[in-house]
Amino acid sequence: MKAALFNPIRYSGPSPAGWPVAPSAYDLEIGRRSMLGGLENLQLGDELGFDWVTVAEHHYAGFSLTPNPMVLAGALTQLVKRAKIALLGPTVPILNPVRVAEEYAMLDNLTGGRVVAGLLRGTPNEYVTYNINPAESRDRFEEALALIRRAWTEPEPFGWQGRFYQYRSVAVWPRVVQSPYPALYMSGSSPESGAMAARNHVGLGLAFTTVPLASQAARFYREEADKLGWRPSIDQVLYRMGFHVAETDEQAMADLVESGAAKPHVGLTMANKAVLAGAMSSGYFGKAAEEQKERVAPRDAAERIEQGQILLGSPETIWKQICRVRDQVGAGILDLFPIVPIADRTRRSIELFGGRLLPRLHEN
Amino acid sequence: MAEQSTISAFVERKIDADGFTIRYLEADPQPDGIDAVVCIHGAGGLRLSPMHEMLASTHRVIALETPGFGASPVNERSRDMAELAATLCAAVAALDIRSYHLVGASFGGKLATHMALQEGEKLQSLILLSPAVFRPAERPRMATPEERRKVMHAHPERFPLAPGNPEVDSKQETLVRRLIGPPRDAALEEKLSGLSVPTLVVFGTEDRLTPPEMARFYRQHYGNAHLMLVYDAAHLVDLDRPEAVTEVVSDFLARKERFLVSEQSGVIHP
Repeated sequence: MKAALFNPIRYSGPSPAGWPVAPSAYDLEIGRRSMLGGLENLQLGDELGFDWVTVAEHHYAGFSLTPNPMVLAGALTQLVKRAKIALLGPTVPILNPVRVAEEYAMLDNLTGGRVVAGLLRGTPNEYVTYNINPAESRDRFEEALALIRRAWTEPEPFGWQGRFYQYRSVAVWPRVVQSPYPALYMSGSSPESGAMAARNHVGLGLAFTTVPLASQAARFYREEADKLGWRPSIDQVLYRMGFHVAETDEQAMADLVESGAAKPHVGLTMANKAVLAGAMSSGYFGKAAEEQKERVAPRDAAERIEQGQILLGSPETIWKQICRVRDQVGAGILDLFPIVPIADRTRRSIELFGGRLLPRLHEN
Repeated sequence: MAEQSTISAFVERKIDADGFTIRYLEADPQPDGIDAVVCIHGAGGLRLSPMHEMLASTHRVIALETPGFGASPVNERSRDMAELAATLCAAVAALDIRSYHLVGASFGGKLATHMALQEGEKLQSLILLSPAVFRPAERPRMATPEERRKVMHAHPERFPLAPGNPEVDSKQETLVRRLIGPPRDAALEEKLSGLSVPTLVVFGTEDRLTPPEMARFYRQHYGNAHLMLVYDAAHLVDLDRPEAVTEVVSDFLARKERFLVSEQSGVIHP
């Protein structure tokens, strides 16, 4: 197994609930410290042997200060010397796909071929960000995916007369270093996305879900791939979850409670009722919409552990929790994000994971 | 109005309410089931813009003339904005409108806000165009017609404001000065947070009379306000860029807060 250290670069100061959040709530100094702290943690992850470091895209709230993960990844190319830099990822349907291809190509050059290319649909609120109709998200995504692959591999300038995208000429410089292009991942919690990942031979990312739902989604993806005559590698299933390691189980829970993160929290999707209603009526969540909503329902700490949404405890306890994810989801990559927003505790947790759990994880 | 159709959907009517005879312009009613849109004009008096004509293709639109404006007698009876708003609410009731959207422009934005506070659940949405609820302490110079034109319009070549009648203008100005209240109206501000009706607040980016920097106060004080800045338009947003204003107003009328989530297709070719 492999482990990725994900940091959404959360704003560490007080931030009002809801989405979008008024920029007036942003404190410059806290924001700067949040960004630098996130970079330091990712650099530490690289030094401790995490296989990947991961960044993501979210807009208009303190949940994540990386509206453009490409920018943060650019900074990481100068700090992260060994690990792969994974972007999970740009929210492709709201972006210019050629620009996405170009930026990935730049990062692949700057890292000497250590970029992992996530291409995501994102959370529904992100469609408000650039005023894109979420009902067309899947179709836009699939066309963009085809266009990005073509932009990376076509040796001659080409035009694109798509359904959603139109270009008279595309010729990406620099070319990507990895051949034929960086490893691709997309989110695949819904059956529609799982089927799309399978038919496009793209790795599957399962995030903000539960182990039972992720197991079901991974099984579906493998079955779909099997029908199409190919078998995803173990590394092509990624499971994202929160983590906090301390010397003892009691200390880990005490840290979580002290930080305030033990309480159920409302995710970006649920934070604006009008946006959620719009997303539901647009068909964004696919046919199994209620099940998809269930993935992100607010849960307390005990439930999150039970559902496999977080790893919490001593290294020994966490190892058992990891084995469950490995056995039930069959994920080859765990994408782990810190859940205790207290700087020294987070640092210690990353160190404990790196020292006590990474070696065991790599042997499995 | 070079680009505007000369055939209007509106007809002039009068209604008695609260002791006033109130003139109004009404577009032919649409089939049942679509809520009416009631429009309250600004300090310059009742006028129709391409926005009103475009809205009339989908809604029953009623543009009321506030007592004391236009050819109506001098209004010395209304003591404050709340009282004037009550008169307009009475006119809406006299028209047998039980559920409606309210659009207020500039001075009419403040009047519409008072109406919204009085109407409760009868009101489906509130749309404020360059509203004058929060105003800067200083007003730009508008001593000459040319100065006034520059303040009102970013694009006077599109749908220029018709020149007014000096006598009517003077009567209206006196009434507005007497009633509008201070640039920051503490008594009104106190009540605004309780205003839960979905509210769209529209400002032109080139507005110097109610500058777009005022927009933030609506977010901070109204219970449920969404801001929309219309690029390259001045105070008379619905004359400078009527298509852009009508598009977002129509969307808000139809979907209220859910207008946040686009339903426009991005398909170029099927």
